[in-house]
Amino acid sequence: MNDFSEIENELKKLRPAHVSRELFARIEQHLAGPEISEHEIIRPNRFRVNWVAIGFGLAAAALLIVFAQISTDRTPKQGDSISQISPAPETRPMLAGSGGAISSSEFVPAGATQVVYNTRNEGLQFPGGSERPLRRLRYQMHQTWQWRNPATGASLRVSYPSEEIVLIPISGQ
Amino acid sequence: MENIASHEDWKSCFSELAPGLLLFARQWVRSRADAEDIVQEAFVKFWRRNHKIDNRGLLYATVRSIALDRIRRDSRRTRREAEAVSELEQVVEPQFELVDETQFALAAAVQRLPHEQREVLVMKIWNELTFAEIACAMGISQNTAASRYRYALAALKRMFQPQ
Repeated sequence: MNDFSEIENELKKLRPAHVSRELFARIEQHLAGPEISEHEIIRPNRFRVNWVAIGFGLAAAALLIVFAQISTDRTPKQGDSISQISPAPETRPMLAGSGGAISSSEFVPAGATQVVYNTRNEGLQFPGGSERPLRRLRYQMHQTWQWRNPATGASLRVSYPSEEIVLIPISGQ
Repeated sequence: MENIASHEDWKSCFSELAPGLLLFARQWVRSRADAEDIVQEAFVKFWRRNHKIDNRGLLYATVRSIALDRIRRDSRRTRREAEAVSELEQVVEPQFELVDETQFALAAAVQRLPHEQREVLVMKIWNELTFAEIACAMGISQNTAASRYRYALAALKRMFQPQ
């Protein structure tokens, strides 16, 4: 004999809460409507490439490289050893004009990080009178780009905050 | 297509399953609205692919998968909700229609069960799934499902019959 029949009977007396009529209406609306294909769904992808942010990052890096080049070009004219980016023994052969050597102002990408430090759910929206609600998520990130000059050992690092807003349709997939 | 022929069928299926499905979804989210979102997404997804309800294990697996996905997607909010609700405990949006003190105590005892036991209990008692269907929904063996069910009942019995 089942030892737990009494407690099972007590549990079966508990009635789960009713479902709202609104849920029926929502399901009916979705089943009647067209199916959303996979490519139409905007998915929050942690590793999605943010091209705008990368564009800004690269522009900032290019600007820094230009400044760095101006700085190193002026160094030999002034003869000021304190303002040199790299140690003198490494820069001297390149300044002498040896062909094929890596330029002291040439930086190569050394690393890139994108840290999502906050995700905020900003609730449902009905953009443009749409009947289908969209959930608005705001991702706050910190991006860091790093370049290194293999000839001199100098490195450049650009860090900046960025935000990305993703709208996710609330519907079946 | 089949959608037209089976358009009305979903209502009878859903009417029968909805309270149990909602209760099942509530095992992951505290808010009733979030649970309804999960049930809606799961049922629409399931019905569009199957147009019938003979594979209940798959339906509950869909609910489970969407709930877990939502938790991962929105972990910070869920944590804040869980913290807030844990302070209020059963005051917010009861999962059952409680009629007396005994039922209130029993519902509270169910909430204190370990999650994996509670999942099996909810599927077995209020959704009337077989152990085979529960095993399919949870990706475990039937024996494990049956064991968890027995552990849950034993724990509840201990809570209500203190030595």
